[in-house]
Amino acid sequence: MEFDLYLRYGPALLHGFGVTVLCWIVGSIGGIVLGFAIACLYRWTSRPLRWLLQAYIEVIRGTPFMIQLFILYYGGPHFGLVLDPVPAGILSFIIYGSPYFAEIFRGGFNAIPRGQIEAARCVGLAEWTITTRITLPQMLVFITAPLTNFLIILTKETAILSVVTVPELLYQTQTMASETFTYIEPFLVLSLFYWAMVVATSWLGERVEARVTRHLRRAY
Amino acid sequence: MAVLATSACDETIITVRRMSKHFGDFAALRDIDLDIRRSEVLCLIGPSGSGKSTLLRCLNFLEPYDRGEVRMRGQLIGWQEGNNPRRPLPPAKLREQRRHIGMVFQQFNLWPHFTALQNVAEALLKVKKLPRGEAMARAEAALQKVNLRDKVNSYPSALSGGQQQRVAIARAIAMEPSLMLFDEPTSALDPELVGEVLNVMKQMAAEGMTMVVVTHEMGFAAHVADRVAFLDHGRLVTCVPPAEIFGAEPADARVRSFLQTYRERNVV
Repeated sequence: MEFDLYLRYGPALLHGFGVTVLCWIVGSIGGIVLGFAIACLYRWTSRPLRWLLQAYIEVIRGTPFMIQLFILYYGGPHFGLVLDPVPAGILSFIIYGSPYFAEIFRGGFNAIPRGQIEAARCVGLAEWTITTRITLPQMLVFITAPLTNFLIILTKETAILSVVTVPELLYQTQTMASETFTYIEPFLVLSLFYWAMVVATSWLGERVEARVTRHLRRAY
Repeated sequence: MAVLATSACDETIITVRRMSKHFGDFAALRDIDLDIRRSEVLCLIGPSGSGKSTLLRCLNFLEPYDRGEVRMRGQLIGWQEGNNPRRPLPPAKLREQRRHIGMVFQQFNLWPHFTALQNVAEALLKVKKLPRGEAMARAEAALQKVNLRDKVNSYPSALSGGQQQRVAIARAIAMEPSLMLFDEPTSALDPELVGEVLNVMKQMAAEGMTMVVVTHEMGFAAHVADRVAFLDHGRLVTCVPPAEIFGAEPADARVRSFLQTYRERNVV
């Protein structure tokens, strides 16, 4: 083990970690928002649009992330969509994650008893208020675990962004490896970084789960 | 004043005319005609699947009826006037109609992530848009009315069935509806908890609330209702004062055989 390598490549690795975290967080939040929008549309829309949404979900889920990234980054310019690596990476990340998030939310919607929605309609609550105040807080009980799961999967999917030269963690690690002909040192630190992200995510998931299931445990 | 009060009691709140409801090919309700007067307690009885609950749910458009009319003080419920085929009202208009009609369900349908107080206050805050302090005060007053002043901060999971149903009643009356609908409010309760809910309903009736109650509690129908409507196979067979159904032999054979099962259990 040559620890002085870390002094030399430390800044680059930290920068790579920063890019990874940025792509992951922005991509995940974007994916969650888009996925939630799809799930809401799916719930309230007419049959033809529903069919279209289903097709979107099937196509995105049915193709590898790397192919989607290639099509967006290298194919995009043919349609006038020229993006830098990082925005392209984030955008493709949002698209890639959205159908999975949409399916998680769809399951969440279905888990809320219909009677509760009817009771809300009877007192005159608007559909959007019902969603934000009644449905969403309760569905978190059911969807926090699958959401956490998928966010953990996504932490490691960020590595694929290196193929379009996004200067993220794997990209920096590979640079370090090829410049110094070392492998243990760079990939050890790479694993530690991913592991830290996963631990943080599952910790956050547990906190959220504890928060949203309060009413099921607390009794007066 | 006395004259005014009498005429107010005769005021018709709901008129139902030739109303029908189909689920696919199945006719759940056929040509229902019904008037509901102010401060009246109307009980709907009849065998399972006779359309009692469907009729109740058509009154606030939880089920869109497909023929005929339901009017509340002259206003067509759920559908736009004119137009053929009919078009449903825009959501905001339907909400405006619904906030004057309270509903209580067999399964309570409280929101489990809210405390009793939050359950009652929610619509006061979000629909009536009252300031927080006033909404909370009114919600507490509504819970006081159903004798649950000491349970304001309890979550539904910590309440008995009877207490949950009373919270549900408080949630509805806090909106000051001019009509209350009850869909088998005691059917999901343990026998010893039925009384506390019925007592609250009796008190509401005594205070002049207009109530339509789908029920299997023949005692409540016999003693509290002003009129009892009997449904069978989606038709309104009869709608008369309770004495005519529970007193002497009822005229209609279907009513007789339905009540026979209750008499055998010594309920009536």
